Amino acid sequence: MPDRVEHDGTERPREAPPAVRVEGLWKRFGEQTAVAGIDLELPAGKFIGLVGPNGAGKTTTLSMVTGLLRPDQGRIEVGGRDVWRDPVEVKSRIGVLPEGLRLFERLSGRELLAYTGRLRGLPGQEVDSRATQLLDVLDLAGSQHKLVIDYSTGMRKKIGLAAALLHNPEVLFLDEPFEGVDPVSAQTIRKVLERYTRSGATVVFSSHVMELVESLCDWVAVMAAGAIRAQGPLAEVRGSATSLQNAFLELVGAGDRDTGETLDWLGGDR
Amino acid sequence: MSVLDAPAGSGPRTGTADSRTALIPVFARLKLALLRNGLRQSSGRRAAYIASVVGALLIAAGQLLGLILLRGNAHADSVVVLLTAVVALGWAVMPLFFSAGDETLDPTRLVMLPLRPRPLIVALLVSSLIGLGPLFTLCLAAGSVVALAHGAGAVVFAVLAVPLTLLVCVALARAVAAANTRLLTSRKGRDLAVLSGLVIAVGIQVVNFGAQRLGQAGGLSSLDPAADVLRWVPPASAVGSVGSAAQGAYGRAVVQLLLAVAALVALLWLWQRTLTKLMTSPDGSTTAAAGPGRDKAGRTGAGLWALLPEGRTGTVMQRSLRYVARDPKTKAAWVTALAVGLIVPLINALQGQGSVYFACFASGMLGIQMYNQFGQDTSAFWMVAQTISSPRDAYLELRARALALLLITLPYTVLVAVVTAALLGDWPVLPGVVGLSFALLGAMLATGATASVLFPYSVPQEGAFKNVAPGQAGLAWISILGGMVTAAVLSAPVIALTITLHVTGRTDWLWLLVPVGAAYGVLTAWGGVRLAAPRMAARLPEIISAVSKG
Repeated sequence: MPDRVEHDGTERPREAPPAVRVEGLWKRFGEQTAVAGIDLELPAGKFIGLVGPNGAGKTTTLSMVTGLLRPDQGRIEVGGRDVWRDPVEVKSRIGVLPEGLRLFERLSGRELLAYTGRLRGLPGQEVDSRATQLLDVLDLAGSQHKLVIDYSTGMRKKIGLAAALLHNPEVLFLDEPFEGVDPVSAQTIRKVLERYTRSGATVVFSSHVMELVESLCDWVAVMAAGAIRAQGPLAEVRGSATSLQNAFLELVGAGDRDTGETLDWLGGDR
Repeated sequence: MSVLDAPAGSGPRTGTADSRTALIPVFARLKLALLRNGLRQSSGRRAAYIASVVGALLIAAGQLLGLILLRGNAHADSVVVLLTAVVALGWAVMPLFFSAGDETLDPTRLVMLPLRPRPLIVALLVSSLIGLGPLFTLCLAAGSVVALAHGAGAVVFAVLAVPLTLLVCVALARAVAAANTRLLTSRKGRDLAVLSGLVIAVGIQVVNFGAQRLGQAGGLSSLDPAADVLRWVPPASAVGSVGSAAQGAYGRAVVQLLLAVAALVALLWLWQRTLTKLMTSPDGSTTAAAGPGRDKAGRTGAGLWALLPEGRTGTVMQRSLRYVARDPKTKAAWVTALAVGLIVPLINALQGQGSVYFACFASGMLGIQMYNQFGQDTSAFWMVAQTISSPRDAYLELRARALALLLITLPYTVLVAVVTAALLGDWPVLPGVVGLSFALLGAMLATGATASVLFPYSVPQEGAFKNVAPGQAGLAWISILGGMVTAAVLSAPVIALTITLHVTGRTDWLWLLVPVGAAYGVLTAWGGVRLAAPRMAARLPEIISAVSKG
């Protein structure tokens, strides 16, 4: 591992090791290959979007990177440390908001934060004061004593985000953080994330909404059918295309799918 | 073709007087159509329905026959009154637990229709007379009055009592259902429905016990005191009036019948009121959360919680205990364990043939709560997994969960042992029982911690009776049965010591078992948690995927 840090140091003298480095990552579920040997190198301090259609393997990849799912094969480093061999160092440095997994919903919002922070080993008073601020900023102060099970989707995402930020992680992984979230909550989440990345932290989030990724991210990785199709700064990936949406459709090979004459009756004589 | 095609303003827009008569057949047809369509959906459902129809009809016929045979029996009066009261209770409780069965039952579906409450109530009442339940009740009521009606006066009362009983039952169900519709569509109401399994489980034990007592003590005559009260409570009072009339006490009969009528009127009034309220006020689930202003109240670390240790131990204990109180599945499991753990030794003691050692059953039942710890967390276990990066963390997590369990279990085990000993008057054995309970509890905690790590399985959150996700039942059985056998083996030394002391007649040395059992229990529990911890730390992703299936 030290030689890798050195290697990075010679190539990019002013930058820390990449926030996330993935090498030859595989995951199969029975017959189906969810992630087919991907390599990724996500720079630190950036707002990074992992984009791809439904079923591209985004959630599987993020789960493996965050230690929630064991890979079949491959190597994952966060901040230069191996996720699976050095969990002590990695888990304290990352924050996670997974998709499709529950929270401890029978706790109130505030209790959930108090619980998470203390499990993370933060001192109680510090947890409580951070929780108060996060609840305020995320506009949850009014429902902090309601059970999370009674929260709306947007409120759940926000309380999940607060729990992920509580220990001030270096890298934040968010799986579909804007899915099913109303515009007001989405804007709140966005503001918090932008402020967080300005401090030098890294945000990696997955989405299939290209406009969102285009407006938020400065670095993107495009995934389709378990493979990485492109990765790099937004402008580079977009290339000559008019929008990320078009660049993406070209990359995944759906850009010029012609509906042809199959639906020619649609809109015709009635 | 439809109302949409008619010229604006041509049709009747609001319910007029004649709509009351029109509404009843509409609702009756709606009910029948819903029933028919429900059966058309799947052949399995059809078969289940037909089976339940046949079953219910057989029971109803049997009951009718039995009641008719009861005619002339000295206690017929009491039996019939009690039976009616029980059925009425069933009608009252049913809608609390089985909400989805009847779509015409849900007034929120009718909100958009221009219906006045009074005709709506009448139509709904009539339509709810269609179905198995009312038929069953009708058979029961008919049988009841046949059993009681002696003489022409009684027959008159009988003719009035049968429909009155049925109507009160149905109106009762409707009133309760309407009062609870908002509850049933809310999260709290569904929590209640999950707890219904518990009511049934504990109820069966109590009924079982009651039946045994009844068998022992003087038979049917022991019912009389209860019946004397219930005969004044509608709708049993309607049936009671027939009995009164048969005895020639017409004044009493009239009062009883009037009581039933009054109850019907009151129920209908109550139902109409809640229905109007329901249909004119916003749905509880969409109203904003204008939570009470308790900004400072409920702060973590306040009150009794402050007594828990700092760090992961206290945090995990607090969360576990909160889940016992708040999570319906966990709560149901706990209350069942607590109740059954007490009832079994008590019943044995009350029957005078038990031993105080039956009290160990309580520690076994409660120890089972240590099993599948992470399945109880559901997929939220990822939040725990994210904070566990070493066997040390895993050890603290498991130990804290065991401690939270002990906080309830330890005093309860002692309590059950003391109560059982008191009932049997066998105090000298008490220390032996307590010591053995401690040893068993420790062994259950040890095997529970290990099984939680090695054989986790999902606990589906919906439904009162599903506690294992499909396909994981084998895992659950291996985990619990294997664990219990292992726990018995683990505590063998203490069991052997207990037996030795009894066989050799040195029962005055039984006090020795308290420290020995406690020390042994602590040791096995510690060993089990110690062994499980490194495996837990190594298996986190596997545990997450196992508990996320439901």
